[in-house]
Amino acid sequence: MNSEKIFPIFLIVFASISLLIVTSIVISLIINSYPIFLRDGFSFIFKSVWNPVKEDYGILPALLGTLISSAIAISIAMPLAISLAIFSAEIAPTSIRGFINSVSDLMASLPSVIYGLWGLYVLAPILNQYIMTPLHQYLGFIPLFSTKPIPTNLFTAGVLLAIMITPFSSSIIREAYNAIPHHLKEAAYSLGMTRWEVIRTLLGYIKSAILAGAFLALGRAMGETVAVAMVVGNTFTLPRSLFDMGYTISSLIANQFPNAEAYSYMMPALYSGALVLFTIGLIINLAGLYWIRRVVTRG
Amino acid sequence: MRTYTKYMAVVAAVVVALISVFILSYFWIPTERIGSQRSTTTTIATTSPTMRVTTTLSGVVNGAGATFLNPQMQAWASKFYELTGGRIQVNYQSIGSGAGQAKFREGVLDFAGSDPPLKSDIYNEFKAKGGIIQFPVIIGTIVIVYNIPSVESGKLRLTGEVVAKIYLGEISYWDDPAIKALNPDLNLPHEKIIAVHRSDGSGTTRVFTAYLSKVSEAWKSKVGSDFTVSWPVDELGNGVGGKGNEGVAAAVKQNPYSIGYVETAYAYSTGLAVALIRNRDGNYVLPAKEAVASAAKALVKVLPKADEDWSNIFPDEIIDPPGKESYPLTSFSFVILRQVYDDPVKAAILNEFFKWVLTEGQKPENILEGYDPLPPEVAAIGLDGLKLLRTG
Repeated sequence: MNSEKIFPIFLIVFASISLLIVTSIVISLIINSYPIFLRDGFSFIFKSVWNPVKEDYGILPALLGTLISSAIAISIAMPLAISLAIFSAEIAPTSIRGFINSVSDLMASLPSVIYGLWGLYVLAPILNQYIMTPLHQYLGFIPLFSTKPIPTNLFTAGVLLAIMITPFSSSIIREAYNAIPHHLKEAAYSLGMTRWEVIRTLLGYIKSAILAGAFLALGRAMGETVAVAMVVGNTFTLPRSLFDMGYTISSLIANQFPNAEAYSYMMPALYSGALVLFTIGLIINLAGLYWIRRVVTRG
Repeated sequence: MRTYTKYMAVVAAVVVALISVFILSYFWIPTERIGSQRSTTTTIATTSPTMRVTTTLSGVVNGAGATFLNPQMQAWASKFYELTGGRIQVNYQSIGSGAGQAKFREGVLDFAGSDPPLKSDIYNEFKAKGGIIQFPVIIGTIVIVYNIPSVESGKLRLTGEVVAKIYLGEISYWDDPAIKALNPDLNLPHEKIIAVHRSDGSGTTRVFTAYLSKVSEAWKSKVGSDFTVSWPVDELGNGVGGKGNEGVAAAVKQNPYSIGYVETAYAYSTGLAVALIRNRDGNYVLPAKEAVASAAKALVKVLPKADEDWSNIFPDEIIDPPGKESYPLTSFSFVILRQVYDDPVKAAILNEFFKWVLTEGQKPENILEGYDPLPPEVAAIGLDGLKLLRTG
């Protein structure tokens, strides 16, 4: 048969398989979370309670915890990721570039349970002693730092997530940076620009890749389960400051899933948590796509 | 275009190969098992009631459930595998008590391991369908651990009421009069108590909160007992959740002036300070071998038979038993079987394996550190229960 005809058929088959998988995930999330929405309606999303004894569930603290810890993570990770990318593409001596890149790629692929254990036993005590406690002591009047910190809290989770996602978004930015046509760089230098001015101009050129790196990293931060469950503090209360302990939806699922079947409504509650997380991820990604498109067409 | 075709052909070949492996393995593995089961001639009726491990049986049984039971069950299974010359393989997956019970109910598992026995509605459902056998296989203890830099291990004395008040948030400082009254010799600091608890649903929490419910009316009415509860101390910002025993142990270690509860093995392996707890007779005890054995013996009279409903008495009735030396936070881990199995070989294997677990398996050389063996009177419950196994 003509390969020109077979090729699109293959594409259609494989593309529809992945589409089918995503659709069936969404459908099963909806079916499995249906009972809790039937019982509680949408109030379930805005309640702050997790009481299996009374079969009373609400996920607001976990939802806020997810948003807060991911926001911390992304605001720490992006400057780091951009710096790392530029350092390895522009400034580092060619001989060690390969080394830096492979170490960073290795960090991106480490299993998250390793990050979790390291975060719990190493990062959390260090952050507590050298960053959180001083911040609370001297700047405790600012509401953000008002809670007396203990090692495992939302801030620690955010920092750990930042460390986990930095190499990930850095490699996306690096690849985009390296793909910039060489003549653009030469043109910039020939105009008499300094090295810093050239880098700034080229970064503007790959804005969309930087945003893409940020959104992918944000998605990973929001969905991270095990590592966060180990360092977030896991208390089901509304956070009052950055140093308060909290929960995230993913860590709630990781914590509660094993025994959830012993209750009538916990499984639906966890599934609807996943559905909410999915919806937020979808909204953020759509917003990101829209933004990237605007940036690209404007630039 | 030639390269595209080649590439697509390779991809298609891989996909087809993967799919065929899945389909083949689906049909293949059960056939193989049936084959090995047919090769045996033993049935329950002919199984000899000796303590020797029979070598005529061969096959696989699958169980899953309580994480607490997991290391001990793996040790038993591998020893038994060795003793039968590799003929009998007992698989156990540590998926949690709740999940184990649910999967067993769906009929996916041959047996379930569980920290609490079946709830009464599920027990009744099984009873209507041919009956259930549930019996203790091992003793587990929970210790209260603390981190007060100036107080060494085994010095701090606590009562259940005081622990309940700490987790209720009613006692917030270590120098509270209620704690001072129990420890007149200790110099307790005016520091906030950080109360650490499990964040994942667990049988350990179920037993710990059952204890608090038993000793404190306020706890019983405000919080209750379950795999996960809503911790009042969290509302005050003085509670911390740790994932798993290791998470609780790490949180207690990292937070000076904290208190927590873990399975005994974890307290010793992490070097945490362990509190003395006042038992029902007014003595302060640690979970030493004798204290645990004393607690288990005190319970023999109240324990039901293997085919009866345990939900009313466990863990609420058996926790905090009488006896001068008894350790209050002593509990059992259970194995749950159906009375009727379609497959006679499976029933025979389960019978042989658990008979061994309840006799030879309880000897010190087969018990891992952190667990305690059943006294013979309690092991007898399971041995009697196994006689109800039948095929149909």
